[in-house]
Amino acid sequence: MTVQLDDVSVHFGRTCALEGLSLTVAAGETVALLGPSGSGKSTALKAVAGFVRPSSGRIRLAGQDVTDLPPAKRGIGVVVQQYALFPHLRVADNVAFGLRAARKPKAEVVRRVAEMLAMVGMTSYAKRFPRELSGGQQQRVAIARALAIQPKVLLLDEPLAALDAQLRADMLGELQKLRREVPEVAIVYVTHDQSEALALADRIAVMRDARLVDIAPAAELYATPPSAFTASFLGGANLLPVESVGEDVKVAGHVLPGVRSTPGKELLCIRPHAIRLGSEGVPVRVIATQWRGSSNQLTCTVDGLPDVSVRIDLPADSDVPALGAQVSMVLPAEACSLVPS
Amino acid sequence: MLVWTRPGKALTWIAFAVVFGVLVLAPFVVVIAAAFAGTWNGVLPSNPTAGHLQEALSGDELASLSVSLQTAFLGGLLAVAFGTWGALAAHGSRFGRVADALHHLPIAVPSVVVGLGLLVAFSRQPILLNGTKWIVVIAHLVLMVAFSYGTVAAALQRVDPSYADVAASLGASPARVLWQVRLPMLRPAIASAAGLSVALSMGEVGATIMVYPASWRTVPVSIFALSDRGQTFTAAAEALVLLTATVLVVFTVDRLRGRAVEQ
Repeated sequence: MTVQLDDVSVHFGRTCALEGLSLTVAAGETVALLGPSGSGKSTALKAVAGFVRPSSGRIRLAGQDVTDLPPAKRGIGVVVQQYALFPHLRVADNVAFGLRAARKPKAEVVRRVAEMLAMVGMTSYAKRFPRELSGGQQQRVAIARALAIQPKVLLLDEPLAALDAQLRADMLGELQKLRREVPEVAIVYVTHDQSEALALADRIAVMRDARLVDIAPAAELYATPPSAFTASFLGGANLLPVESVGEDVKVAGHVLPGVRSTPGKELLCIRPHAIRLGSEGVPVRVIATQWRGSSNQLTCTVDGLPDVSVRIDLPADSDVPALGAQVSMVLPAEACSLVPS
Repeated sequence: MLVWTRPGKALTWIAFAVVFGVLVLAPFVVVIAAAFAGTWNGVLPSNPTAGHLQEALSGDELASLSVSLQTAFLGGLLAVAFGTWGALAAHGSRFGRVADALHHLPIAVPSVVVGLGLLVAFSRQPILLNGTKWIVVIAHLVLMVAFSYGTVAAALQRVDPSYADVAASLGASPARVLWQVRLPMLRPAIASAAGLSVALSMGEVGATIMVYPASWRTVPVSIFALSDRGQTFTAAAEALVLLTATVLVVFTVDRLRGRAVEQ
């Protein structure tokens, strides 16, 4: 079972919410749609679910064109941001909703609801109303309800956004576990949080201004980002303008050993934790330091590059240079990649 | 908080009590007193009697109460049905604003005009309703639809559309989404619209007085007629009956709403 979006655009009046998205999600694959708000990621999910109608393009599920099918006929599990548990129904009835809509025999409904609640660890809450549950519990019920109809595709729209930081980390672990429980389901996971995307997705589709910017396996996208936007949005990379001199690459007049110039790629991308301080490097001046518990983050200006500031993560146990100090940063060639500006 | 000092607060409370007492409470008290007064020549009523109340609960006047209750329930409940239907249909439609304006027309127009309009429109074939109870019910229906529509439409604005979306994605047909998700979620608003419609209908005079046939006279019209004939004490007793009936009905409807919210 694959989800296939073929040049899908969504317009609301004059506003373009999604522009020509083509994307395929294979059975058993998790694809994260990652982007800032207004990037079209939620619209893409709504188009797959059938909540909005594309103004052009086709959507196929397992090869069958579903563009004109209403959501009820698509058989897709959806978990929305605020969970939308039906407030007048108890937890068990919420989970049973889709099964009853499909007129499943009573015994099967009971069995399946028990199975689903057990899977998300909510068995003892079956008789509660949604408002009696915490955010994390509501989220589990929403997932149980979506999976009860045994969908081949599961759409998750910012499922962790409404939770506080600690709970978010716990639920991320639970989602990973859940992923293994339904190995054949294709999952589309919409988020603005890069750590969720990196933790859960096989492939990440980075979106911006209603368009797909880059799509690639998560590790590849992180290690060698194809564009400046992806580099900074996914992992907050530093971007430094470079000059090419023959085969060599220069940052602020200093040659980077081991980095080879590529035509058309004028930005050097390097993660904050990959930069080290040393004696032979690019001179920078420290303008801010921030202790983050597990690391110290320095913000530095580069001599000769007036508009650029560089973030450097130093291990927590290393010496932190004083504010205003002149240090030199070492950019290891294996951590550097070049992207077009 | 606008007033901070203790004497200042006391003073504002006293001012409020005086205004509220004179303008709101005093007329009620006077009506209740008049309902039980045999004569009222001095400052206070004298010769207390339950005779007026007996009169108000017998014969034509009792029939009036029954007429009022029937009209309120029939007109009010139909109004809730139509108002809810209208609000659901207008919600998210591009004709929503037009529907809004049309539904609010009956409260923007004076109720006497609504009554006269119905009288003129339905006094001839092909639709001859003048002289039947239906013209009264329809007048109430037309006036109450506006309130029902307003209440339900306001509640719809606050309901996140993703509930209906999710229900549909779970395989529910549009009818199932309506009956099992959208309407139950609107139940508090619908109950509240029902209470409002019934209460307003119980007290409606303006349009009723234009259209009512002799056989279908509501309590407010009776009160008006009695007071017009100078039977002030009987009118007061009838008013007391109306007041009690309305409070009981609204209280009952409100209890239904309370349960809906608890669920």
